[in-house]
Formats: sequence, structure tokens, C-alpha cells
Amino acid sequence: MRSAYNLARWLVRNGQDAEDIVQEAFLKAFKALDQYRGGDARIWTLTIVRNTAMNFLRKRKTDNGVDLEQLQAADRSANPEQELLEENRREQVRRAIARLEPEFRETLVLREIEGLSYKEIAAVLNIPAGTVMSRLARARQRLLIELAPVKEVRHELP
Amino acid sequence: MNCRDAEPLLHARLDNELDVAGAITVDRHLSECRACAAQFGALQNLREQIDSAQLAYTLPSKLEQKLASRFTSQGNWFAQLWRRPWRSVAVLAVATACITVLVMFLPTMWTADGSNAIAAEILDNHLHALQPGHLFDVESSDQHTVKPWFQGRTDFSPPVPDLTNDGFMLVGGRLEVIRQQPAAALVYKRRQHIISLYVSSSLGVEATPGLQDLGGYHLLHWSHDRMSYWAVSDVASADLGDFARLFDQTKGNRR
Repeated sequence: MRSAYNLARWLVRNGQDAEDIVQEAFLKAFKALDQYRGGDARIWTLTIVRNTAMNFLRKRKTDNGVDLEQLQAADRSANPEQELLEENRREQVRRAIARLEPEFRETLVLREIEGLSYKEIAAVLNIPAGTVMSRLARARQRLLIELAPVKEVRHELP
Repeated sequence: MNCRDAEPLLHARLDNELDVAGAITVDRHLSECRACAAQFGALQNLREQIDSAQLAYTLPSKLEQKLASRFTSQGNWFAQLWRRPWRSVAVLAVATACITVLVMFLPTMWTADGSNAIAAEILDNHLHALQPGHLFDVESSDQHTVKPWFQGRTDFSPPVPDLTNDGFMLVGGRLEVIRQQPAAALVYKRRQHIISLYVSSSLGVEATPGLQDLGGYHLLHWSHDRMSYWAVSDVASADLGDFARLFDQTKGNRR
């Protein structure tokens, strides 16, 4: 359930929408229980969540980019002053990932945050494992470029 | 291995998706190529950044509770049932028991008021009558002897036609009780074959007319004028059909 919510949250980039999608996906999964042919239940659930989220994104034509306020507000605990810079750094990473195209974002989230193997990601996204690898390569390249200037700034810090 | 081939494989290497041989090949290239080694270092650094950013969103507890109560406790009885092997075994056992009981009792229930049980009893009775000394209560080829014999013994007077000219010779009659109902059993002979014809005012009047085969014997049933007729014999079924037709046609005319 945590994985399902995390994936949905990253895909639609909005807490309330993610909750709705998880509920809808679980309802779908429950109704389709007779179609469940064994195997990894987590993969099966994530597949349904992912498809539900993608349908949602397709319907929501006005995808007005990253909801930065949502991201900043998300799960932020009170940080001491000295950790402010580190927190900014994390925020940079979050924004960079959130700005990725959905197909790169979902691949990266499943790999880096959920720790799925290429084979598992391929099953969830219904794409070949080779495509998983090339999407990860594209996604990471984009992140390296996006984060590069900030990295230089950090190197100049004491 | 050149850099072009190595580039995508760096990701596979980073994600531990390469087999041992593949990993060695990539590592060898990394030790030889500074550009790719730098790229790999950058990717490792990126991974550390992503890890330390703690990007996983936590499921809101309200949603978790909602989902848990909705999908795991109630309404999911059947799904849970099949997830627990011992329960599915129990369900199968109960289902099997039910089916067995049904199969055992269905024929009984089915025939309790139907013609099958009557037919079986009539055949039994006929077979019993074929034993020495059981065929007649009144032995006569004269219809005017046989018919009056039933007076006072049944609450009806059975038709006893003389079918000798048609090849069915009257040889006698007896009183039987089938399913607690009195029945007049007329005995005819077709060559060496014995035909018992049971006439009753109550025995399966509503039963479906027709021919049945039971253990090598033929059993023909029909109803007429609120009287029920059951003819049983080992004679050919066509002969039994002729007998029934002739009996029905003749019974009113030649008395």
C-alpha cells in the first residue's frame, strides 16, 4: 500500500489526487481479483495503480507542470538551521525528478525509490527490460544536467 | 568494448542487473576509460543524492485505515477463504458431501411419485407371478369366467376382452396389491410368452404413457377412462404394442 501511494503520488504530483487514485486502483484490483494469476501481488497492484494514474494524467489535460508548493510542503519536518542547506538540496532533487516526463519519472521512481528490478519494472509498465534500461539512462542523464549547476555551487561552499 | 556500447550498460551495472561476465566486462572498460569512469562516478553520486533525499511519500494514515477496513476485513470473505488452504479444503469437503447426498437421494426423490417406482414394482410382481403356482387366482380362457371373478374384489370391473383370434389367449386372472392399491391382473399368453396386464382405477393414472425396458422385459403403460393399464411381458415390444392396441379397441365391444 505504501508503494502504491508513493508511485501514485509521484505520478500525479498531488496528495489528494494520489489518494483518490490509490482508492480507485484498490477497488479495481479487488473487483479483478479473479483475474489475478498468481505471481507477485505487489507487482500486480502497482500495475493497476500505475495504469489508473496514467489514465488520470491523460484525462487531466491541463497538466500545469510541477506543483512546487505541494512538493515543498510534502512530508517536511522541522529542520534545524544548519540542515537548511541540505534540505534545499533534497528539494532540488525532488523538483528535478518531478519535472521528468511521466514515463521517465515512473521508471526512475520504481527503480530508485521502490527498489524494483528491471524485470519487475518491465512487468509493471508492460515494456521490455531493455526499454527500462534506456529510460533509466535518459532519466538519469536529465537529472545530472539539471542538478549540475547546484552541485558546483555546493562545491564552493566551505 | 567502446564507450558507445558501455554507456547504457553503466546503468545496468549501477543497478546490479548484469551477470558476472557482463559486470567484469564493464568494470574492465571503466578501468581503461576515464570518461566513462567519470560518468559512472556521477551516476553513483546521483544515486546517493536520491537516496539521501528520502523521496518516498508516506501513506497518509487515514487512507491506510480506510483501505485496510475496506479491503481486508469485510466483504472479502470469499477471497480470504481461498487464500487459506485449509478453509478451501473444508469448503470442498462440504460441497462434495452435499453433492454425494444429492446424488444418492435424487433418484429416490425423483421416482417417489413418478412412474418409475410403479413400473419397477409391477415388474417385480410379474416376475413373482411367473413362479410356479402364482400365475392365477382364477384360471380360465373364458372372459365370462374371469371378469365376474373380480366382482367384490375390486371397486371396478376390469374389461376382459377375448383376443384369441388376434393371437393373444386369455389364460386367467389374479388379484394383486401394488403400492397399497388393488389391481386386477389379467394373464394373456402370446405363444410361450406370458403377458400380465394390470388394471387399476388408481395406480399411476396420471403417469406418462409409454414403453419402458426393464431388465429384458417390456412395460407398457396407458390410461383410458380414468383407468390405468400396465402391460408387462418378455414378448417383443411390437407384440406388446399390438396387444395394448387390440385390448383398448376390443374391450368395449366383445365382453
